[in-house]
Amino acid sequence: MHNSSPSHPSHRPSEQPSAGGKAVLSVSGLTKEYRVYDKPEGLLASVTGLFHRKNRVVEALKGVDLEVGKGEFVAMLGPNGAGKTTFLKLLSGIITPTRGTARVLGHVPWERTDDFRRRFALVMGQRNQLWWDLPAAESFRLHKEIYRIETRAFERTRDELVDLLGVRKLLLQPVRDLSLGERMKLELVAALLHEPEVLFLDEPTIGLDVVAQHALHRFLAHVQAERQMTVILTTHYMKDVAALCQRLVVVTEGSILYDGSLGQIVDRFTSHKIVTLDFDAPPEASRVERFGFPAEIRGPQVILRIDRTRIADALPGILREEGVRDVSVEDVPLEEIVAQLFRSGTSDAAGISAPTGTPR
Amino acid sequence: MNRYLSIFATFARVCLVRDMTFRANFILECVTSLGWMAMNLAFYLLVFTFTSEIGRGTGWTKEPFFAFVATGLIINSIVQALFMPSAEELTEMVRTGGLDAVLVQPLDAQFLLSMHRVDFSAFANGLVGVGLLVWAIPRLPHPPSPLALLLYPLLVVCGVAILYSLVIMLAAATIHLGRNQSLYDFWFYLTNFSRYPAEIYSGPWGGPLRALCTFVIPILLVVNVPARVIAQPFTGQAWGMIVGALLAALLSLVLSRWVFQSALAKYRSASS
Repeated sequence: MHNSSPSHPSHRPSEQPSAGGKAVLSVSGLTKEYRVYDKPEGLLASVTGLFHRKNRVVEALKGVDLEVGKGEFVAMLGPNGAGKTTFLKLLSGIITPTRGTARVLGHVPWERTDDFRRRFALVMGQRNQLWWDLPAAESFRLHKEIYRIETRAFERTRDELVDLLGVRKLLLQPVRDLSLGERMKLELVAALLHEPEVLFLDEPTIGLDVVAQHALHRFLAHVQAERQMTVILTTHYMKDVAALCQRLVVVTEGSILYDGSLGQIVDRFTSHKIVTLDFDAPPEASRVERFGFPAEIRGPQVILRIDRTRIADALPGILREEGVRDVSVEDVPLEEIVAQLFRSGTSDAAGISAPTGTPR
Repeated sequence: MNRYLSIFATFARVCLVRDMTFRANFILECVTSLGWMAMNLAFYLLVFTFTSEIGRGTGWTKEPFFAFVATGLIINSIVQALFMPSAEELTEMVRTGGLDAVLVQPLDAQFLLSMHRVDFSAFANGLVGVGLLVWAIPRLPHPPSPLALLLYPLLVVCGVAILYSLVIMLAAATIHLGRNQSLYDFWFYLTNFSRYPAEIYSGPWGGPLRALCTFVIPILLVVNVPARVIAQPFTGQAWGMIVGALLAALLSLVLSRWVFQSALAKYRSASS
């Protein structure tokens, strides 16, 4: 049974899995405000701006609560500007919050203690952390020094990661000569050399082709499972989420709209299934209308949206219809649900929201 | 400490590898800065064809003056080689968000940000400075005492520390401002004051300027104190200067550390 209309944006469903028991990461009321200067257009306005500035406060994060247990792989999904990156920057101690508390591995991140920083890693898909003009092997060696990794452990981890990703022959090439996909793989190797317990991935697959994305997915899934690493991944791509994460957090405008398993989001926010019928020939509209469900005709294909509760009753009648060659019943695609969530801004207002008490 | 040394050695090695990768650029940089320095030295030689002393009764005759110039070259080349490239890059790192990657590493951020780049070509001037000093010392009218020779490297380090503090405070300003392309220009104007003997600042304008550059921004102590100790007769007055330089170096380091740390705490990070 699900509560589809949480009273608070950061509400966490009670069925939330809290894997591993003890929280590795716990955040409460985390708020980050930025003061931004609205730069007016024009020269005169710019000159006035030198003396008198109108500042505006932008809330990048609005009181976020989140708890993540050891070994969880959490995806954060949200449109641009939702606050995902800000969230990761706060958790990595790069910036300090305006209000709220956070503990990662028992540390307050923005105190930036060495003990904390030795135990996590941050990979940003749009930033380059390796030395640009040098082979990655040099950056790795520097990493070894900075993180005080023992020589034998360093060599073992490096070789293992490099072989998993199949990038051994790239180690001695200057990083600037590598493709984006190759570079991303090496960035990941660098980030994992010190065997972090917590890994923050900020859009690691951005701009990568399908092959490289798959390779990264396989690698991340393997390493995470093997090391029992706690991972938070922000992304725009549903493929990342589907391939890697058990838990999904949807963020828009600085608040958490949904926090739960991948399967539950479908249950919670959709009341219907998608039934696709293949006809021998394009059917007439009047024929389709007789089914009594919202329908869309695409050539010989008809797509019906049927309430979950009525699927069992409706299907036999539909299948008896003349000319139906094939039928498939699917959940509403995740992309569609999430896009709706993004657009609506709050889960309460989500047009696809099911009435309270919808059975599974 | 040991770890920092070995990390610095890695930085230095990496930078050397890179410099060697772009060999032509490296040689060109050496030649450019050596050329600029040669022109300066030629200019000073020219000045000494018209006068035997800079300022009457100051003791800055030709050989002491060249010892002064040599000291300036050494100090500046150390700063230019070890700290300037990193400080300049900090501006870019703040603007592009590259600073983020530094802040997550288990290492003192100030150390990493002020020392991760080494410009080996800048040592070229320092080497010439050492050569010039070796040439000037036996020719000085008052040869330096063993004590002076011993104090000299310490005072050079003090000078480097004062300049470093200035660089790092200017760099910290970029964290606040988000952008500070004029860092290098401002640096150049400031250090210009340190290039000449303090005695040239006299009179109604020079006096206050000299006081300002000694006690407020101790830029005049950077080259003047070590140069005086080695090139001028060692009097009781010298001890005042030496203690002053030590104190100034210590205070500047403490102050710059504080400025840099508070700037880091206020870092906003660029959008991804």
